[in-house]
Amino acid sequence: MPPVIRIDNLWHIYNREGERPIEAVRGISLEIHPGEYVVIVGQNGSGKSTLAKHLNALLLPTRGDVWINDWNTRDREHKLDIRSTVGMVFQNPDNQIVATIVEEDVAFGPENLGVPHEELRRRVDWALDLVGMTEFRYRPPHRLSGGQKQRVAIAGVMAMKPQVLVLDESTALLDPLGRRQVLEIARRLNREEGLTVVAITHFMEEAVHADRVIVLHKGEIALQGTPREVFRQADRLRDLALDVPPVTDLAQRLHAINPRIPPDLLTLEELVEAVRAVVGTRAPVTPARGGANHTPQTQNGRRVVDIADLRHLYLRNTPLEVEALKGVDFDVLDGETVAIMGHTGSGKSTLIQHLNGLLRPHGGRARILDYDLTDPKADVRALRRRVGLVFQFAEDQLFERYVGDDVAFGPRQLGLSREEVRERVREAMNAVGLDFDTFKDRYVWALSGGEKRRAALAGILALRPEILVLDEPTAGLDPQGRNTILGLIRRLKAERHLSLVLVSHNMDEVARMAQRGFVLADGRTVTSGTPRQLFSQPQTLYDLNLGIPHVTEAMHALADAGIPVRRDCITIEEAVGELSRYLIPDT
Amino acid sequence: MDEFELARYVTIGQYLPLDSRVHRMDPRFKLVAFTALVVAVTFTPSYIGNAVLLVLISYLVVLARIPFGYALSGLKPALPVLLLLMALQMIFYTEGFAGPAAGIACVPLFKVWLIEPTTCSLKLALVSAARFIELLMLTSLLTLTTTTTELAHGVERLFAPLQRRINFPAHELALILTIALRFVPTFAEELERIMKAQVSRGARIGGYGRFRVIQNTKALLPVLVPLFMNAFRRAEDLILAMEARCYVGGRGRTHYTELHSTQADYLGLALALGIAILVLAMPWPW
Repeated sequence: MPPVIRIDNLWHIYNREGERPIEAVRGISLEIHPGEYVVIVGQNGSGKSTLAKHLNALLLPTRGDVWINDWNTRDREHKLDIRSTVGMVFQNPDNQIVATIVEEDVAFGPENLGVPHEELRRRVDWALDLVGMTEFRYRPPHRLSGGQKQRVAIAGVMAMKPQVLVLDESTALLDPLGRRQVLEIARRLNREEGLTVVAITHFMEEAVHADRVIVLHKGEIALQGTPREVFRQADRLRDLALDVPPVTDLAQRLHAINPRIPPDLLTLEELVEAVRAVVGTRAPVTPARGGANHTPQTQNGRRVVDIADLRHLYLRNTPLEVEALKGVDFDVLDGETVAIMGHTGSGKSTLIQHLNGLLRPHGGRARILDYDLTDPKADVRALRRRVGLVFQFAEDQLFERYVGDDVAFGPRQLGLSREEVRERVREAMNAVGLDFDTFKDRYVWALSGGEKRRAALAGILALRPEILVLDEPTAGLDPQGRNTILGLIRRLKAERHLSLVLVSHNMDEVARMAQRGFVLADGRTVTSGTPRQLFSQPQTLYDLNLGIPHVTEAMHALADAGIPVRRDCITIEEAVGELSRYLIPDT
Repeated sequence: MDEFELARYVTIGQYLPLDSRVHRMDPRFKLVAFTALVVAVTFTPSYIGNAVLLVLISYLVVLARIPFGYALSGLKPALPVLLLLMALQMIFYTEGFAGPAAGIACVPLFKVWLIEPTTCSLKLALVSAARFIELLMLTSLLTLTTTTTELAHGVERLFAPLQRRINFPAHELALILTIALRFVPTFAEELERIMKAQVSRGARIGGYGRFRVIQNTKALLPVLVPLFMNAFRRAEDLILAMEARCYVGGRGRTHYTELHSTQADYLGLALALGIAILVLAMPWPW
């Protein structure tokens, strides 16, 4: 079969006035065949989004050619043929919905193509059904979750009856449930409708089921092959600042202990099979080690946050009133790291906005440090100085031209002297790894995404808070950006006396960072405990579609398969330690 | 304390999803009826005319099952200005539509120092207030019972003949309206988020007291700059998304939603037009 997409020595160079040209894509040649599932990975700035925009003539080549079926993308006459053949779903769910209700948005593409009314109705019904959004067809888009919006966007593309679906980081801003649903739909469309899928992502586990993985680096194809062929080369991937999927990571560490575990396993089933083949029925080689070295460090017990039965209503006393919090219990001990887990709409944003008095309780108890928020006279401005709240996508709040000025905004509001402000800015910027002397006079817009986020974090740290609240600090970042932020938070924690509240739905992060976790659902605290407790009894989390860390999932799977390993390993080091008891070869 | 809860103050596009005859009316007819009533309210100088309109509009609010207080919720913040306006009209009014020019004699009510309100100035004040309340209820009535989508379709179809004849951009207008309304909740949420983020790092928004205009305006920069930058970024994204979905303008587009009018729509429109003409054409005595 002839390829549906043929790229021949594609170059794309961005020429912006007054800047030096950027070679985003450097001589890529590529063929994609009908029915293929191709995943393109690469860190930010590797050229993957630029490449994607060439697939439906949103960008035209600087040099080289892109052919869709037999249409060259330079040929303006076939622009609509190309765009209806290669449908594209973008990253931000909010910025690609045109209409004010779901079904009309799905109809937008075919309306543009002049599809007659009867056929339009049929296509919209069909497309909504494909993505399981039929029951939401009359909803306005702002009343959908991110994942639902992306499903609407996919339906909007499918209604044009394309041959190829391009997902340009369409899962990057979604919560785990939304991400899983979008991926399931893409895989199902690929299998059942024969749709060609090109997915761009920096979540490696999304590449596991692909037919082919293409790794981009600095505008070139660095690696290409089946997932197994590509992820086998873990060292090479790390050089390119990329990860391997969690199961592969575990397999490779076990391979180092016992070479009979293959280093290129991709799925849990394969891992269980391989471990069972090696272990057989033999007894552990070394005695069990207790989890004693992982017990949480002792706290001095003072509660810095004490919240019980917290209630909050939005649009109180209007017909549109919504009860966002229906009874939340939450507390933080001095010096502790506490995670809050829950899906969009579970009430976690509402809860953390109480922590610095942005919202006031409408019921229940809320004491933060020495402030009783139920007392209308509580000095919330003073409270906000002591509790630093870092919003999700905090880089959106930067507004000054220079990085240093932006970080100085908070301290300046405190009425400090010039020297004091400067000192605080220096300290905060250095703490987030943006060297004061190098970065203070840089333009904010010239920073990378990860650097911007760190600058925003510095803006809060410059207030010298006692409690730091971070809402999804790694959302939307590539693996390198994620690791930098997490490392930074851990170092901050070690160097200063900080209590930390971390909102996350990345369970690996929770396992690595937190001493305790609270699970929220539908405005209530459902359960709480140490990560070990929460993850060793995973049913509640599964029921809420929240999941558990990948390694814990692997340990549960191994234990279920009859290998008597501990189920409560929550970090990869623990899991490797536990498994090595069975895997160390006899000498 | 709900200082950051912006949705409370944004009532535009706050559709109340109830089922009523007013809700179900064909948006084209609803828009024409609305326009007729707005014209009637604006040009009726008499007590009786306004009373008729007030009764009619109140009846429509009841018919639409909207809580009365909610339809009037915009009145409270405007009340001080409205009262001041009425007072000024009472004091400074000399003549106008309610005065001798219209063939009505003005009878002084009382006199304090130089201030001498007459029946004419009293009428002007009362009629202005009534108009304000009527317009407020009318707009609430329209936006609370009509989804933004229906509004956009109504505008597009009403002006479609003009597009064919004099190339009036009806489709583009409707699209702009749709996108604008589509993003109102998005921007409201974003504004709220940015305000909260800046307050969290010590910003004092509106915290300088009423008369320190410069400080208060400067304090808005940390909110407005990110809001606009994000809006531009969203606009760029949206252009790409629309292009990717084959948008090339209104030519050759088909329509998913078709509007169907019923007898009740014609009746409703006839009622509104009839009353509007009656109110405007009758030489009401007072």
